[in-house]
Amino acid sequence: MSDVRHDDLLLVDHIHTYIGQFHILEGVSVRVPKGSITVLLGRNGAGKTTTLKSIIGLTPPREGKIIFDGMEIQGKRPYNIANLGIGYVPEHRAIFRQLSVLENLKLAERKKGDFERSSDFIFKLFPDLKRLYKLPGNHLSGGQQQMLAVARALVPENKLLLIDEPSEGLAPILIQQMMEAIETLSRTTTVLLVEQNFIMASQLAKQFTIIDDGKSVSSGLMKDLVLQPEVIHRYLGASIKTRIELEMEHESKE
Amino acid sequence: MNRKNKRILQTILIVVVALGIIVGLYLYAGQRAFVSTIFSGLTLGSLFFLVAAGLTLIFGLMDVLNFAHGSMFMLGAYIGWQFYTNPTFIFGIAPLALAFGTGVMFISVLKPYLVAWNLSPRMQKLLPTIAYILAAVVIVFAVLGFDILALADTAMVAMTTTTVGNPLAEISPQEPLEEFWVRPVLIMLGGLLIAFGSSKPGDKTQYAPKENLGKAILVPAILLVLTVVSVFIRESAPVSVLLMNGNIRFLLSILVSVAFGFVFGAVIEIILIRPLYARPTFIILMTLGLSYVIRELVQFLWDPLTYQMARPPLFAMPGKAASIGEWLRNGNSTIDILGVTVPTYRLFIIALGIIMFALVTLLMTKTRLGMIIRAGVQDPEMVEAMGINVKSVFTLVFALGVALATLGGIGAAPFLPVQPLMGDAYQTQGLITVVIGGMGSYVGAFVGAMILGIARAFGDYFALKLSLSPAIAEASTVIIMVIVLLTKPQGLFGKKE
Ligand SMILES: Nc1ncnc2c1ncn2[C@@H]1O[C@H](COP(=O)(O)OP(=O)(O)OP(=O)(O)O)[C@@H](O)[C@H]1O
Ligand SMILES: [Mg+2]
Repeated sequence: MSDVRHDDLLLVDHIHTYIGQFHILEGVSVRVPKGSITVLLGRNGAGKTTTLKSIIGLTPPREGKIIFDGMEIQGKRPYNIANLGIGYVPEHRAIFRQLSVLENLKLAERKKGDFERSSDFIFKLFPDLKRLYKLPGNHLSGGQQQMLAVARALVPENKLLLIDEPSEGLAPILIQQMMEAIETLSRTTTVLLVEQNFIMASQLAKQFTIIDDGKSVSSGLMKDLVLQPEVIHRYLGASIKTRIELEMEHESKE
Repeated sequence: MNRKNKRILQTILIVVVALGIIVGLYLYAGQRAFVSTIFSGLTLGSLFFLVAAGLTLIFGLMDVLNFAHGSMFMLGAYIGWQFYTNPTFIFGIAPLALAFGTGVMFISVLKPYLVAWNLSPRMQKLLPTIAYILAAVVIVFAVLGFDILALADTAMVAMTTTTVGNPLAEISPQEPLEEFWVRPVLIMLGGLLIAFGSSKPGDKTQYAPKENLGKAILVPAILLVLTVVSVFIRESAPVSVLLMNGNIRFLLSILVSVAFGFVFGAVIEIILIRPLYARPTFIILMTLGLSYVIRELVQFLWDPLTYQMARPPLFAMPGKAASIGEWLRNGNSTIDILGVTVPTYRLFIIALGIIMFALVTLLMTKTRLGMIIRAGVQDPEMVEAMGINVKSVFTLVFALGVALATLGGIGAAPFLPVQPLMGDAYQTQGLITVVIGGMGSYVGAFVGAMILGIARAFGDYFALKLSLSPAIAEASTVIIMVIVLLTKPQGLFGKKE
């Protein structure tokens, strides 16, 4: 059993999560200190997304504890968990395609006036969205959808943001913009980030946790991890390749 | 680009063909027959829409095909007819229904305290079971000797006596208050016991904050007041309602029927559908079963007979009005439109369909609930993860869908024979409408309903004129469905997934 330290905003403590009869997470622990970015690393299919979903309650863990802001949240309904101040940015740009950009943002309001309060900040981070706000979601480009997915989580006042692979499928220039945006928003909100782009992860995050095959196998400070190539190689393997390399690989396959 | 052009071409083609058919029918049938058939078609279309709108909203959001929708339509007709003809039955059972609802709704107040109890796992299992058994016993005692059939008969008695004399002179089968009051009290106790059991005392994994107590007490408190009021007006209210202007009484019947549909829908969703979302085939079987239960219940209460609800005064005076103004002044039963005699009640149903379409459109495009529904159709999990209670949105949408069906039922009651099977044809047509319009699209439901209604009306027209079998008319809607599905498999307004 790990204890909650005073500066922990979130503590995931040995959770076991099942999807159907599949035992997906077999003991994942993550510590997210307040005020900085923590990154979840791991190969494809390691269980990073499932960890985020377990926190927000979409795949509630069967065992273990999740303590957010001093309160046990495992087993609560997702909307209750979100309303405690957790924003979730899912992978694959899951924005609402039938809703306009503005409606996507408005829907994220938890209190009246949330959007008015946050719109300046959001449009400063993602100026494109301001120009597009009347368009339906399915008319946006992939990069714009990804920005909208992040922007949506900034509408209500959140203490913690769970962001799943924000750079996935973005062009290099957009990756840069997304990195800057996450860096800016992390000054006001704690972030738990899933990121396969190791370069991006190492520049943004202060802490890391590596998940491998449904178990958390290593965690600590990012500045220590970059000095341990053997750990990186052992658990991350191909995933330390930059996004650009992966993209090129992908294209050459097609 | 190419695909877009193809879509535009397809749309133009459809419009041209539709216009061609319309012009052809006009030339063939002549103006009088054409206009009058169009009006029957729009009337049918409005009713189809009221059934299909609920079906499609519910299917779009929850992937639930409600096969009890037609029975709910029928139930709406019965409830409205009862209230309009003689509300003694409605007012007689209202105290019991409200008392039960009050008891159950106290769950929101009880739960935060019960959850905090320290109980052993054994007790956590045992207590709810005991509560449910006690509730059953208490409720059986509460309704013991309650003569519901006599109450249900009052409307029939009123109908047979209207021509002879004063329906109000009928003796009321209500028990005197000094005997009756025990029933609502016991039933409320039963409801409270159910609330106790279903809040799972001692189960601390549930999230039940005490902070919102002020809000939580609101609904049960309002219900409690309504219960008490309903106990005291039980005997006097039916008479006052019957003395009202018939048009206002009809309006009230509509409201009662819609309110009933809403509550009934919510209860059905919470008790029967919610536990089955993970098993869609079970839901289909369950709703099928439910439709039989509703039908049998109606036959038990009102016998397997056919009733005709009287038309409200606004549509009742024999004779044809020359203008809308004249109709509204005199309440004629028919009106002259372009030289054709159209029953005024049809205009009412058409207006009802159009108004409800406008309201549904407003709800879906302009309100937060509409936004949540549109988002939920795509990804309910993400909606929930944004802090929205999707379960209660499901309940709300199911309730709204059933309310639309009961609205269709009471709307149709003065126009169709009221009988236990009256909803079946509408359920079938409603399902065809949903398929034609595109699953989940309310615009599709409206357009599809109107197309089907008009096709059906022309089918009837041709069947009569060419002395074909009336089955031709029924087949016409299926033929349209086949044509639409062959050209656009997702329906006219369906989204590709
Ligand atoms: N619905 C499901 N049913 C069965 N298995 C699932 C389901 N969802 C995920 N899994 C399995 O759970 C494991 C972890 O998945 P998860 O999506 O959490 O991985 P991830 O670390 O986010 O991977 P990626 O980097 O590819 O996004 C995978 O092996 C996956 O196959
Ligand atoms: Mg993932």
